[in-house]
Amino acid sequence: MNPAPPAHAHAPSLKTPLTTAQQQQQLAAGRNVSPSPGLRYPSNKKTIYDRNLSRSKNAELSRAAFGYLFVEMIGYAQRRVRGVADLEKRLNAQGYPLGLKLLDLLLTRSPLPSTSPSLRPTRILPLLQFITTTLWKHLFGRPADALERSAANADEYMISDNEPLVNTYISVPREMSQLNCAAYVAGVIEGVCDGAGFATRGVSAHWVGEGGGEGGKGMWPGKTVFLIRFADEVLEREEILGKNG
Amino acid sequence: MAIYSFYIFDRHTECIYSKRWLQQPQSSSKQARPTSASTTASVEMPARKALSAADDAKLIFGTVFSLRNIVKKLGGEDDAFLSYRTGDYKLHYYETPTRMKFVMLTDTKTNNLRVVLHQIWANLYVEFVVKNPLSPVEHPGGIGVANELFEMGLESFVSSVLVS
Amino acid sequence: MAIIKDRLVVFALLVINKAGGLIYNREFHSGLNKMSSNDYLILAGTFHGVHAITKSLSPLPRTQSANGTSASAPSPFVNRPTGLEVLESAHFRLQCFQTVTGTKFLLFTEPQQPNVDNVMKRIYELYSDYVMKNPFYTVEMPIRCEKFDRSLDAFVKVKS
Repeated sequence: MNPAPPAHAHAPSLKTPLTTAQQQQQLAAGRNVSPSPGLRYPSNKKTIYDRNLSRSKNAELSRAAFGYLFVEMIGYAQRRVRGVADLEKRLNAQGYPLGLKLLDLLLTRSPLPSTSPSLRPTRILPLLQFITTTLWKHLFGRPADALERSAANADEYMISDNEPLVNTYISVPREMSQLNCAAYVAGVIEGVCDGAGFATRGVSAHWVGEGGGEGGKGMWPGKTVFLIRFADEVLEREEILGKNG
Repeated sequence: MAIYSFYIFDRHTECIYSKRWLQQPQSSSKQARPTSASTTASVEMPARKALSAADDAKLIFGTVFSLRNIVKKLGGEDDAFLSYRTGDYKLHYYETPTRMKFVMLTDTKTNNLRVVLHQIWANLYVEFVVKNPLSPVEHPGGIGVANELFEMGLESFVSSVLVS
Repeated sequence: MAIIKDRLVVFALLVINKAGGLIYNREFHSGLNKMSSNDYLILAGTFHGVHAITKSLSPLPRTQSANGTSASAPSPFVNRPTGLEVLESAHFRLQCFQTVTGTKFLLFTEPQQPNVDNVMKRIYELYSDYVMKNPFYTVEMPIRCEKFDRSLDAFVKVKS
């Protein structure tokens, strides 16, 4: 990045540690770059990219800050969409890359001394447990409320959350009552599954609190179920692995 | 407790009496405190000064009239508008059965002055204005209200209220 | 005595946007006269105007000593006249809170209700949470947020 790096920086003996004087010289050269007025980039290596990945584990984010950010994300997704399904698809797409990255990050941080630190789940159940505990705790500070396998279809799994954090401040207008903004979280789940090598035929978020009369609505009006439908080849592999193990 | 001003409106919505007890120490206090905040104050001052006393009375009547109607609408016909308070002052209101309106502006910490306003009406206005044989029945333009006895009575009554 | 103090009787809550339009209107306890929605709209508009007048009526010259905040940190809002804050009548008490952006909250309570300031603060919190952070709410438009309604109910009814 330095526009005029000292000549010795390109010397073949690059691996030998620089002397203090040389380091200072380099720093001085870096400082000569006049910072652009718009974007401020700290020169003292304090960006989040320079931080150790295992640190800032317990760093928490203001819920209000997330609330406002999510408002803008939904506002952005809402532009040029036709209908609720389209909007949910866009939210899902926004969450997907986050899931991919979180899988890597959380596996790197996972404190398993016996095994290799970045061992990804290879069976469905460990993967889902990873999602409902590790991922959920990282994102929302608590585990998911339930994990079930669909009785009707073997390829469907359901994670339920009584009160999704992303929906804390959201009141869906009546004309869009089918919309569940936790589709964003569904996208995150899809990203994690995909990244771990479990292709899905889609992850979707559904309301279950409503419509259940007095029973369902009373306790958890915002209860949401994330429906995960794995691809056929994943189930095939699972079967083979089950026989072998 | 400090009293800023006092108004009487008759049933024709006209202001028939007004009096101000405004301390004017701001010229001295302003010099004593040459802070930067005084610049914002001086920006707002000319706009305030532009309003004459008569305009003030009209605005007060409009305010009081609207609030009284709101109160009657919400609380029913037997409800009575008593007072309102802003960050700077408090306005006390009393309406006689003949729809005369007595209004007093004080500082914000003053308790309700409905009783005081009632006494001004009963002991001063009725005694010195209504019972005055030289005073007309109605008071267009305030004729006959600000007579010597009423002024003196009001002054001494207000100072006695201020002391207590 | 303590029981009476904790009791909260809120008759109604009105929210008026900065243009004087009524954007939220809700009754909690009966006690005020029933009014049509049109009457409420008129009330909001009238109050908006009266509020502006009461702001300009201040008998005190606007000096920094007027509200005794000259010692505190300079703020652009310190010297601003506030307009009507509390209105008392024989049957109710009206507390008005204006946000720095000009939205007004009108709370109608019983005449002797204590701690209305705290109630107002809490309602403002609920508003900023469930209305302002709702992606489907357009600023200055009528408030139709289910969670705002529900949280208000929970707050007002639990305390009463």
